[in-house]
Amino acid sequence: MRRFKDRLALWLGALSAMLAMIPLISILYEAVKNGASTLNVDFLTASPGVIGQPGGGIGPAIQGTLVLVGLTVIIGVPLGVLSGIYLSEFGDNPIGRVIRFLNDVLAEFPSVVIGVVIFTLVVLTLRSFSVIAGAFALSIIMLPIVTRSTEESLKLVPNSIRDASMALGIRKWRTTLSVVLATAKSGVVTGILLAIARVAGETAPLVFTILGSQYFFSSLNTTMDALPLRIYRLALLPYPYAQAQGWGAALVLILMVLVINIGVRLATRGRLYSTRSRA
Amino acid sequence: MTLDLQTEEKQPLSRDEVLQPLRTLENSKVRTEDLDAWYGNNQVLKKLNIEAREHSVTAIIGPSGCGKSTFIRCLNRMHELVPRAKISGRVILDGSDIYAKGVDPVTIRRRVGMVFQKPNPFPTMSVYDNVAAGLRLNGERNHSVLDRAVQQSLELAFLWDEVKGDLDKSGASLSGGQQQRLCIARALAVEPEVILMDEPCSALDPTATAKIEELIASIKGNYTVVIVTHNMQQAARVSDFTAFLYLGQLIEYGETTSLFENPVEELTERYLTGKFG
Amino acid sequence: MPRLMDMGLEKLRNMVLDMAELSQNTVSTSIDAYVQGRDLRDRIYSWSEELRMLQDEVSELAVELIARYQPVASDLRFIKSCMEVAYGFSRFGRYAHDISDVIGIFGDLSNCDRQTIQEAGSQAKDMIRVSIKAFTERDVELAGRLKKMDDVVDNIYLDFVKKSAHEREGNLKCVVSGTLILRYLERIADHATYVGETVPYIVSGERSARK
Repeated sequence: MRRFKDRLALWLGALSAMLAMIPLISILYEAVKNGASTLNVDFLTASPGVIGQPGGGIGPAIQGTLVLVGLTVIIGVPLGVLSGIYLSEFGDNPIGRVIRFLNDVLAEFPSVVIGVVIFTLVVLTLRSFSVIAGAFALSIIMLPIVTRSTEESLKLVPNSIRDASMALGIRKWRTTLSVVLATAKSGVVTGILLAIARVAGETAPLVFTILGSQYFFSSLNTTMDALPLRIYRLALLPYPYAQAQGWGAALVLILMVLVINIGVRLATRGRLYSTRSRA
Repeated sequence: MTLDLQTEEKQPLSRDEVLQPLRTLENSKVRTEDLDAWYGNNQVLKKLNIEAREHSVTAIIGPSGCGKSTFIRCLNRMHELVPRAKISGRVILDGSDIYAKGVDPVTIRRRVGMVFQKPNPFPTMSVYDNVAAGLRLNGERNHSVLDRAVQQSLELAFLWDEVKGDLDKSGASLSGGQQQRLCIARALAVEPEVILMDEPCSALDPTATAKIEELIASIKGNYTVVIVTHNMQQAARVSDFTAFLYLGQLIEYGETTSLFENPVEELTERYLTGKFG
Repeated sequence: MPRLMDMGLEKLRNMVLDMAELSQNTVSTSIDAYVQGRDLRDRIYSWSEELRMLQDEVSELAVELIARYQPVASDLRFIKSCMEVAYGFSRFGRYAHDISDVIGIFGDLSNCDRQTIQEAGSQAKDMIRVSIKAFTERDVELAGRLKKMDDVVDNIYLDFVKKSAHEREGNLKCVVSGTLILRYLERIADHATYVGETVPYIVSGERSARK
């Protein structure tokens, strides 16, 4: 009887895992099926064409996403990592507990609300939709994710490592950076990349901040296009060419996210034990 | 069969004579004066007056929970890193109180090194980097200085021959005994004056333990070693002086051979003969 | 809660006590044999041999306990003392053997003045009894009496020798046999004091001076 239960549990588990994979696989399948045909150099680099007529591409959208993600990383990652370090290494006190709580709350905030808030604070103040506003919004979304994952990764480093370093007469900040953070490096990086992948797909805040555009990036102060926005716009157009292009853009976005994820896994696997030591 | 015939009259030692070592200040490398320590409201050490003489090995023995580990952590100011930990009394290193106002704990820790119970090499660093860590992370950049320090420390720790072929391999890829010797080398590299060892062999097999005991014997000429051990035989093998702690108090302190052959205190006698603890 | 070593220590103690009883009998028998003029050499020789073998066994067991259990403090002192005491008891056997040898060599000694030897003999027998009791019961005070008792035997021996040295005549057989036997009794008395000296050592680690 017990063996039967064992087997049953095993099969149920396997079945659930397979079921869980189905959405992912079907999405990939649909994206490839519907969008692969549109992919060519032209499509990836050209500006959108006239509405209603086939042709044009998603160049500005790709560029926009890259620019936006880049800016978000510059703003959000240092802040998030430092907050994570603070919470993990120095945060065992009432202030730390408050910060941690607020961070958790922020992580659950609806992104559209964040978009609206930034709209009010930045867009209205500067009187224009802007890339900066978009970057701010996305970094607010990214911040709690990075903070939390950094803190968790650092907490995984056993205390004996900190003890060993302190006992050598190494100062606390040096210990934190060169020993603790170094040990937790791959976890922290993974957290950052997952946050990037998450943030690259956010659409709602972009609507309120960068608005979208037909043109390539010109300045931080004006509107810009991004892949999620472009997908949204294309999906709503009633033309078949637009549908196809929408799928193409979706495929590009998916591939971007996949590449980031897989690339980082491969890169950090060998780097767990840094060998660049002598001379 | 030989009969051990004493040729001179020997009175049993009086209590004062047993405690005599505490009062000789020459040769004393580090000693505590009325040391108390707390974790929160729980007092763990009570008025300890123990000394460790220079170039000797002092063992701290006692049943679990008697405060041995807490005690040595007071000697390098690691005790205060624990939240809600408190300390009172003095710890005199070479004549000055390490807890005096204005003393930087970091400088104390460079003079008083520590080896822990479970080997803890830095996992993302190579053997070389581990040993060099103490120097490098305190600002030493000169490669030949680092090279020399690494080699000397590994030699002192009886590990050089085993790793010299591949100093770049990960510190965590060594065996348990090798890892512990690596940690000892790492501690030696910053050239401390005192080495504290908190049950350094309890996670190791007998062969690895023997190697480390030999190591201790070979370095004691140049360092002062304080070793906490729950293994009485190890204390008897390795140390010159032994302090017996019980429930945070010093019960007896003396030369190892006489403490083990003829302890003064009843409690010591009972602990040594395994009647408790 | 009994320790692993306790069984071994108990066994050691019993072996030593067995030796104590045997050696006491051996010495008593040899002295009585002299006084009564009987030849009990065979019996004494075999007992002495047995004592020697028992002493070896005690030594073996003591060393085994040390190697296996790494005893310290009072346990170590006890084991060490057992080895010393066992040696002492085997010596008793040896001297008893020697005393009965004298009887064998000199034959009929009924003409000699056996008073002195009887005195020394009974003192020696007492000392053996006292030393065994002190060791068994760890009685430091009792052990302390042995020194004075030893002085008595020493004096008897020295007086006899001095007297013999200045006598013009006298039975050579009696003088020589008497000297030999008193000498053996004196050694027996010495070893009894050594046994006594282990008692304060076991109890408190004190060692006393040897003459």
